[in-house]
Amino acid sequence: MSDDSKLDELFHTYLAACPDVEPSANFMPNLWQRIESRHSFGFVFKNVARTTMAACAALCLLLVFLNFAAPFRDRMAQVPNYTDVLMAEHSAENTDYTEAILEAPPAPQQ
Amino acid sequence: MLVDQELVEKARGGDGAAFNDIVLAYRKRIMGTISRLIGRPEDVEDVAQEVFVRLYYSLDQLRTPEVFEPWLYRLTVNASYDYLRRARRRNESRMADLSEQQVVMADSVASGRQEGVERQKGQVRDFVDALFQHVSEEDRLLLTLKEVEGLSLKELEKIYRVKENAIKVRLFRARQRVLKAYNKATVDGNL
Repeated sequence: MSDDSKLDELFHTYLAACPDVEPSANFMPNLWQRIESRHSFGFVFKNVARTTMAACAALCLLLVFLNFAAPFRDRMAQVPNYTDVLMAEHSAENTDYTEAILEAPPAPQQ
Repeated sequence: MLVDQELVEKARGGDGAAFNDIVLAYRKRIMGTISRLIGRPEDVEDVAQEVFVRLYYSLDQLRTPEVFEPWLYRLTVNASYDYLRRARRRNESRMADLSEQQVVMADSVASGRQEGVERQKGQVRDFVDALFQHVSEEDRLLLTLKEVEGLSLKELEKIYRVKENAIKVRLFRARQRVLKAYNKATVDGNL
């Protein structure tokens, strides 16, 4: 008999030598209890995870909205109205003669 | 398969009674496999229940009922492996967690009160367990599934999701190591 067949035979003998394992009477009740307990934990976890995900999604949407809205608002704020333009164009700093008036030496008195 | 595909389909759909029937059909076979994989009779039922809990929560991921058995065996191997890892971490000594019943049984074996056949069976188990010490835990599980449980290479391929050739190579190497230890034990007169 070759080594391989001796080993095969040993494994067969081993299988026969292993005792049959009988499930206890509480096998099924205990199994369903474990399923239920994991189910309730899973249920709570799923709910918390779902709420957190919804909050995160809402926050993301809000941030995206703010991200787009803020530059638009800034642009709106920067659009000059008529009076601003008028004021800017006629302010003292923008007049050509202002400096001349300020820096011209007083006329000698006769 | 021990159950109809229709029953698997029903269980997949959330039918508790169908799932119950599946457990009743497979529990003895799965417990037998687990007992040979983990080698601790007192924990077999606990690991088997873990397998069926995992099955319950993963049935919806099962693509087709045809692959149900490899799927169940995969869960069995994973749960057994998880158990062995936990047991290794706890680093318990083998005698420390023997149940009272087993200690009584060990005593009776020692005092020669047990039947001769039972003693011989115990010796065979001890001898094969000792041979399996020469391979890694992963290889021991693989060897047990192939050589003791009698699963085919195709089934192992589905369970491990590894190419058949890779399993063949691994099995061959593990078997060679066990064979070497077996020959050495025979020469030393341990058998």
